[in-house]
Amino acid sequence: MVKKKEYGLKEADDEVWDKVQDLLRARICQNSLPENMDGTFQSQREHLTDLIRRCATIGESNSALVIGPSGAGKTMLMSSILSELAKDSKISGNILQVHLNGLLQTDDRLAVQEITRQLRLENTIKDRVFGSMAEKLSFLLEALKKDEGKSQSILFVLEEFDLFAHHKNQTLLYNLFDISQSEQTPVTVIGLTCRLDVVELLEKRVKSRFSHRQIHLFHSLSFEQACKVCEDALTLPLNYLSKKFCTEWNSHVKEFLQERIVENSLRHLYDLDKSIRSVYSILLIPICRLGPSHPRLDSADVLDALKMSSCDSKSAMLQGLTILQLCLIIAMKHLAELYEGSNINFEMVYNEYQKFVQKKSHSIQCFGKPVCLKAFEQLIVLELVRPVEGSGFTGAKLTPKEYRSLKLLVTPLQVVETLNSFSGCPSELKMWATNPLPS
Amino acid sequence: SAKAATPQIRSRKTPRKTPSKPLEQARARLHVSAVPSSLPCREDEFTDIFSFVKGHLIDKLWGCLYVSGVPGTGKTATVHAMLEELNTEVQEGEIPAFQTIEINGMRLTEPHQAFVQILKHLTGQKATPQHAASLLEQYFSSPRPKSKPVVLIVDELDLLWTRKQDVLYSIFDWPTKPKSGLIVVAIANTMDLPERIMMNRVSSRLGLSRMTFQPYTFKQLQEIVEVRLQGLRAFDSEAIQLAARKVAALSGDARRALDICRRATEIAERTKQKGSKGTVGLNHVEWAVEEMFCSPKIMAIRNASEQEQIFLRALISEFRQSGLEETTFEEVLKQHVSLCRLQGFTPPSVSEIWSVCVHLASSNFATWKL
Repeated sequence: MVKKKEYGLKEADDEVWDKVQDLLRARICQNSLPENMDGTFQSQREHLTDLIRRCATIGESNSALVIGPSGAGKTMLMSSILSELAKDSKISGNILQVHLNGLLQTDDRLAVQEITRQLRLENTIKDRVFGSMAEKLSFLLEALKKDEGKSQSILFVLEEFDLFAHHKNQTLLYNLFDISQSEQTPVTVIGLTCRLDVVELLEKRVKSRFSHRQIHLFHSLSFEQACKVCEDALTLPLNYLSKKFCTEWNSHVKEFLQERIVENSLRHLYDLDKSIRSVYSILLIPICRLGPSHPRLDSADVLDALKMSSCDSKSAMLQGLTILQLCLIIAMKHLAELYEGSNINFEMVYNEYQKFVQKKSHSIQCFGKPVCLKAFEQLIVLELVRPVEGSGFTGAKLTPKEYRSLKLLVTPLQVVETLNSFSGCPSELKMWATNPLPS
Repeated sequence: SAKAATPQIRSRKTPRKTPSKPLEQARARLHVSAVPSSLPCREDEFTDIFSFVKGHLIDKLWGCLYVSGVPGTGKTATVHAMLEELNTEVQEGEIPAFQTIEINGMRLTEPHQAFVQILKHLTGQKATPQHAASLLEQYFSSPRPKSKPVVLIVDELDLLWTRKQDVLYSIFDWPTKPKSGLIVVAIANTMDLPERIMMNRVSSRLGLSRMTFQPYTFKQLQEIVEVRLQGLRAFDSEAIQLAARKVAALSGDARRALDICRRATEIAERTKQKGSKGTVGLNHVEWAVEEMFCSPKIMAIRNASEQEQIFLRALISEFRQSGLEETTFEEVLKQHVSLCRLQGFTPPSVSEIWSVCVHLASSNFATWKL
């Protein structure tokens, strides 16, 4: 056997860094299950595990909703519970799983088809389901009706549960909950959703059949815990490549996360959104830049990532405009401030622009109306300006382009900020942006 | 091979366990599906329905009965108990044999499928809805000296409503024919359904035999739970009373009371300490009630991120300032930035505040329109 070569951070070659990148990216982007989940959502986990276990062993039917903001770990909790239960042969041999997603099964027809397919009932041949919708539904209900204690229990996991509540008559939910409340095949229905008021969406007969078990998940990590999670995500297992490499790397990770810039950036993201996914997002660029010539996580890369994630999209778009378009935007800003609340149209903007060019400007070229209109239409396409609904933009009565009422979608602050950082912006324009022309 | 497929779920690897501990047994009995053979607190309603159907069967009079009541008041269970009782009487030879057909509006993909289902149960034929309707019309209007009378149970009646109301009309028209041999028991939630959604000629055929199931009072709910727990020492009596009172005050839905008690057994099991009685006490029920009826909004706000909390505060201060309950994003943005400055944060960019707003809206804290 060849002895593993010992190498440190500096000696590692392309191949090693590829492997490291693969592992870290899988953890951060692919939402792979964390290895260590002890203590996270302990009581919620116990509750759900109990429900599924009892459904499999005793055949008790239940229904529950897991509610929590997006990114709180609902799906992660569910899949970690299922992977844990799959190891127990007493449970995995007695329970069938059906996974539905409100984004995919957009109506009951698709949902019923998917259920029959996943249960592999007899009206399916090689993943194709036969029969009309009415037949499929009655076939499915017929199958679930018979129960002499011999059939397997079924676990339904409905992701994006709130979307199922928008189906016609909520037929699917009624039937699933009704089966869970009557003496038929034992089923457990677990819905995952981020809407807090989801129970109010249910019709009253559906609501009555739902058992009102609501399991709430919140972003419960404190900032220190979030940092610890980041550290765990970046830490390599010691037996992974070479021991020397991994110890060097892990101590480097510790140092890296304690750097002031990194900590502040993480804090910024954490203050915006406490979900771990948002905090992770800043680590991606530093990881992707790793390589033989760049063997360390760099705080400058973190700053880059932060700049990218916190950049204001409207200001960035303003940076790409022509001087004429900027003039029009500034004119509109002044008009919006002058006639607060009321709408503006192109004629007003053009008039304002003309006044500026004739009175104040010496270096800016004066364009005619057609050119200005063209430039203006581009602003509409970029959605920096929006036509007001019901202003003759569509429909039988078309208002001429120049007189349609419009609304500026950029705040005055964004305009001023952009002009300050705009390269090659004439100083007259900057002056005009802060001081409106005397009317 | 024209063998009809009998739908079936795959069978289990190991047989089911039966509950042995008192709390487990209590939980099994408290499950909504474990309906007792005689329903407590619905004796009067049971006798009414029973004598209606029995009388009609004996006198060979055909007609309809309309049963209404809010969900969870025992309508379907009472009707099922009535059918069972009738069947025992048939075996004893007291009344002539009859056939039962059950349809449920919620189990149909569209109202006209009702005809298909009824025909399938009557004769085993498969047909399209239009064909089934005409076959059924024929079936119920021609004399059939040999076949048994039919008791048709229609659950969730309101879903069979169509614009032309032809499904409702047919169902209530068949029993008016002298040879039909049909008794219809229709079940729905609202009392005034016939007047509200049905045309005059439909509601007149439905007739005046109606029955309303009142929501359960707390005494009745208490009795329902106690009957199920007879002979088991799993619950303190005041614990049952608390659950019954809480549910009666809210809805009077028996399913809720049973669910709360079932959840309380789970909580009692989990928090059981050595040396205690191991029965479900007041505190367990209180916990379960809290869990089921609590509003999680305050917890959610407490756990929201710093910027989300600032956004909500900005929203409130904007509402206070304007006195309206609606505002534009731009106004809130101004408030948000100034609140950030006040607290010594560098204000996030507009895009970031947008994403905070979107995040809050996805949990439905604030609703918006574009």
